[in-house]
Amino acid sequence: MIPAKMISANTISAKTISAKLIAAKMPSEITRSKFAPRFYLFVAGILFFASAINSFAADASVQVQLEVKKAGPRAVEDLTQRGILRDYRLAWTSMAQAFEFNTFDPLEGPFSGEAKRWLRQTVTSQQQSGLSRRYTNQNHHVDAVFYSPEGDVIELHDTAQYHLQILDGSKSIDDQDVTVRYVVLMTPGADRWTIRQLQAVPQF
Amino acid sequence: MLRRFKIFALIYFAATWAGLCSAQDLRVPGSASAGAETTVSTTGSGKATFYLVGPGASRKSDVTLGEDIHLSAQDMQTAGRYLAILCADTCHSSAFYVSAGKPASLSFIVHPSRVPVALNDAVSGVAFPFDQYRNLVLTPVNVNFQLTAKDTSLFSRAVRTQNGIAWFRTTSGKSAGPVRITASLDDLTAQRALQQVASDPCNLRITGQRTKIGILVQTEPVHDCAGNVLPDGTIVTFTATGQDGKDTVDAPIKQGIARAQMDSAGATTISAASGVVMGNEIRVGAQP
Repeated sequence: MIPAKMISANTISAKTISAKLIAAKMPSEITRSKFAPRFYLFVAGILFFASAINSFAADASVQVQLEVKKAGPRAVEDLTQRGILRDYRLAWTSMAQAFEFNTFDPLEGPFSGEAKRWLRQTVTSQQQSGLSRRYTNQNHHVDAVFYSPEGDVIELHDTAQYHLQILDGSKSIDDQDVTVRYVVLMTPGADRWTIRQLQAVPQF
Repeated sequence: MLRRFKIFALIYFAATWAGLCSAQDLRVPGSASAGAETTVSTTGSGKATFYLVGPGASRKSDVTLGEDIHLSAQDMQTAGRYLAILCADTCHSSAFYVSAGKPASLSFIVHPSRVPVALNDAVSGVAFPFDQYRNLVLTPVNVNFQLTAKDTSLFSRAVRTQNGIAWFRTTSGKSAGPVRITASLDDLTAQRALQQVASDPCNLRITGQRTKIGILVQTEPVHDCAGNVLPDGTIVTFTATGQDGKDTVDAPIKQGIARAQMDSAGATTISAASGVVMGNEIRVGAQP
């Protein structure tokens, strides 16, 4: 039990202290109101650059080499090769982001059909289990092995090397450098090539 | 001194034994088929956490070491690389592959949907066998391609899939009309249709006669070199050259014949063309 006098004394002293604090805060409040817009602008700028650097870093970490000499029966034109290379690289960047941050958005665009279905399913199950995967230092050596006569589908064989980290929440439960072979089917869309099939195999 | 050593040795052996008892390891299946149940066996004793990380699967469960872990058909529907991770004091992992099952469907792409007759390498088709979970079947299988027009076989070929793909390319048939293209694999069949149309006209001939309002010019029935009537809508261009200058009229073929009315009072020379094919020339005298 606290005596009434003591309560009253405590209340007074608290009031005095808070008055002093307010007085002490006044100049800083003024400063804050003066510089607040600039400060927030500065923070927004930092965040923007951080996200830009982050996405650039994620993209830059995906190295893709595409070889089209073995492709047939249709020959792969230079422009087509560049388009496939660009979109395949983007697809892996997007997949890595989706699996690391457990979000669906990066999968919209680079993937379609069956590949998109299982990638979305993976993100859903990761959200449920609290797991995530981090793909870093990606290096893809890709061979085009089939390009259809009418140019509406291309099959790629990708020997991918990357660092794969599996996380349960923030705890790393597996961490290894791996080499995985993928059989990939890509089809052209209105403005890009999309991955329809992405299937890891023990060997080609 | 000896007593201390004995105590130390006892503690050491006890710790080692405890470690051995709880040491966990896991054994993954050597090969697995999509949609088939399988097990991961574990060694050791005590509780652990098991993770299955693969395409479409991300599972976490508590397990007892020393017991088999059951992987359901639903966990293994997508072909690819799976990682089994077992965590007790430390984590151990092992990877295994799930391959596609038996073919359950055929994806079949045919080009084009409309093709002129007797054109070299004009028709092509690509077939992909998939299992019931839409995994690409990479084990080689034979796909039979067949082109049929009015119960007449135009083309038939068995092609073995390579890297999960079978394809063909062939010349179009000689008769205009619908063609059925079939890809079959055991009891699976995928069917597409294309329309063969007449090729460029052969011997484009025109006739003309003066009428009250000008010159009526028309083609004889327009055929390609194989005798197929050119489809309605094919454009024939008539050109009249006279004293007044040059006049051009585009006329569509209707039921094999293209007609046009041309205004020209004086003597006129009329020619016709369709695509890259030129017809004959006719001369029509001046209006009396």
